[in-house]
Amino acid sequence: MDTFVQVTLNGLTAGSTYALIALGYTLIYGVLKLLNFAHGDVFMVGSFIGFGTLQALGGTSDPVVPVWLLLILMVLAGMAGCAILGVAIERFAYRPLRDAPRIAPLISALGVSFFLANSMQLMFGADQRNYGTFALGNGELFTKGFSIGNVHVPLIRIITIVAAFALMVVLWFLVTRTRTGKAMRAVSFDREAAAMMGIDIDRVIVFTFVLGSALAGAGGVMFALRVPTAASIGFVIGLKGFTAAVIGGIGSIPGAVAGGMILGFAESFTTGYITTRWSDLAIFTVLITFMLFRPNGLLGRAGVSKV
Amino acid sequence: MKISMSYPRVTAVAAAAALAGMAAITVVPATAAPAKASAGLSCSSTLKIGFVTPLTGVAAFLGQEQLTWAKYAVATLPAKLGLKIKLVPGDTPVEQGPAPAQTLAQKYVADKSVVGVIGPSTSGAVAASSKTYAQAGIVQISPSATRTTLTKGDNQEATKAFFRVVPADDLQGPTDANYMIDTLKVKNVVVIDFQEPYSQGLGGEVESTLQKAGVTTSHQSIANTVTDYSAYVTKVPTAADIVFFPTQSPAAAQAFAGQLVEQGKKAKVFVGDGGFGPGSFKAPGSFASIFAPDVTTIASSKAIVAGWQKANPGKTAGSFGPPTYGAVQVLLQAIKAACVAGKGSIAKRSAVIAATRKVSINTGWILGGKFNWSKVNTRDPDVTKFYLYEIQSDGSYKRVG
Repeated sequence: MDTFVQVTLNGLTAGSTYALIALGYTLIYGVLKLLNFAHGDVFMVGSFIGFGTLQALGGTSDPVVPVWLLLILMVLAGMAGCAILGVAIERFAYRPLRDAPRIAPLISALGVSFFLANSMQLMFGADQRNYGTFALGNGELFTKGFSIGNVHVPLIRIITIVAAFALMVVLWFLVTRTRTGKAMRAVSFDREAAAMMGIDIDRVIVFTFVLGSALAGAGGVMFALRVPTAASIGFVIGLKGFTAAVIGGIGSIPGAVAGGMILGFAESFTTGYITTRWSDLAIFTVLITFMLFRPNGLLGRAGVSKV
Repeated sequence: MKISMSYPRVTAVAAAAALAGMAAITVVPATAAPAKASAGLSCSSTLKIGFVTPLTGVAAFLGQEQLTWAKYAVATLPAKLGLKIKLVPGDTPVEQGPAPAQTLAQKYVADKSVVGVIGPSTSGAVAASSKTYAQAGIVQISPSATRTTLTKGDNQEATKAFFRVVPADDLQGPTDANYMIDTLKVKNVVVIDFQEPYSQGLGGEVESTLQKAGVTTSHQSIANTVTDYSAYVTKVPTAADIVFFPTQSPAAAQAFAGQLVEQGKKAKVFVGDGGFGPGSFKAPGSFASIFAPDVTTIASSKAIVAGWQKANPGKTAGSFGPPTYGAVQVLLQAIKAACVAGKGSIAKRSAVIAATRKVSINTGWILGGKFNWSKVNTRDPDVTKFYLYEIQSDGSYKRVG
């Protein structure tokens, strides 16, 4: 039973990270019909911004602000930095190719991915970086929390899971309950018709990149609170986020969350109960199964095109 | 009819041309041979040494650290030997398998001014490319490829042109395992591999030694792209005393140790040389083994370390860099010896291989003491022990074996 609880907790933690990345993929795909393969690297940059913020505020050994404020500032800095990065990527790598054949922005996205990974390595080196959060407040982020049976649920996991879901709720509210969200949905449905109705398409697309990239930035910081980061992590974690988006139904916000959770649990339960060797195999087997039997994903809708 | 008549004519012309060509080919070496021998590679010109290591990808931290030391060695050592050397680094990302190592080998073979190679740094790259280098007579001196079967056993994966300055896994593995058995009195150990040659070789040696002593072991295999170890920590038995974690990243070892504590596991982490990293891996109660004392504590290497630190401000000396400096020391000695034997030139690149076999460094060896090749395994260093450290509550490393 303890193993089951721990494995479930692991799956929930990983799944919330994958869901945050998948949301970025799905938002951008929904509005631009673009697979932004640089999204995983934006996530990586977010983790580095969090690291820089932590160092600027005194590091883990001697932070100049209380721990709770430090964590909030790190996440906000990651979100802000990645939002700016997302806008720059859209402006310089995707906007000039908006009317080009769909393969062109796709290749551009891969180029941006390599550019970001290699630039970060050039600037900050290839070493893995640990936030060292274990040292914060005498380790209370790891030692405090609550227990389910014999399984300790540490504060740091509670923070990352709750914060991830809070961000998802905020995103859902933005997209479904605000005028800008309505404009995003309109552009996603029919870009030309939306433009004819007076919606500023450029502004909506930029806002979408701000939202998606900020989520990736927050995800990057929260991920690196527990796990070392490096300039090379973006591609693999981005691939998993993309897989989650496809499983959930790319373009669907609830689908992205569901896809992230499915992926997190598939990975965790395979490792916990079957074998440690083949967890990635499990993830991509789930993807192939969905592609074969439900190609539009869990909550995606088939596209209709008039001929 | 026309066609049948013209065809023999064309054939005859082609045959004549071919014969003329063959005659030219057979004549040319007879006259050109002396010129070639005298041309050789002049030791007063700039000679190149290749450097094969992962500079990008998940193992880039290793290659980038090694590169700083290789650059520093090439910047400071050749002038003392009267040589002019240019370092030509090449990238072998571990994710891409053997292909980049093979491509680089062909590149270095084709460049006639390359007289030797530092690396390949990873055992897989050595196995993939050693034959290509050997056929061209190019020596390879690795600072970090430790797979036992590269130089030992009936089916050696590397050629006679391959050397290494660090000892193989069959020394480190039993050393680590015997310390666990004799001193730590372990009953239950988890051994991890990262689905790449370094950890599989070292982990295998540790596991087999532990099993022979009756210690209960379990094995986990983690993809080397994984950085969140939660799911793997969950599988560590509560009764486990030690998790042998042969990572090549001290930060990964630190994260794993933190996640063990997070999940309430009492097991301590034990790393090999790849995880040795004061400043990065500082989980109290953990253990690390390394082929040399921490280079910053070796009195005779103080000036070298200080010079490197001056050239690389903000960086700290890890475990992969200093042996790379050592590999350059050995290669430069061999090049110098080949130059002396060739009276100012290197007629064939294989002369450096022969000279490498005779290299012996009595003073200035970066890893302390003297450097000699083993008398038993003549392409491995004469090193018979590993050094063991326990991490203290303040994160410092205390030597325990």
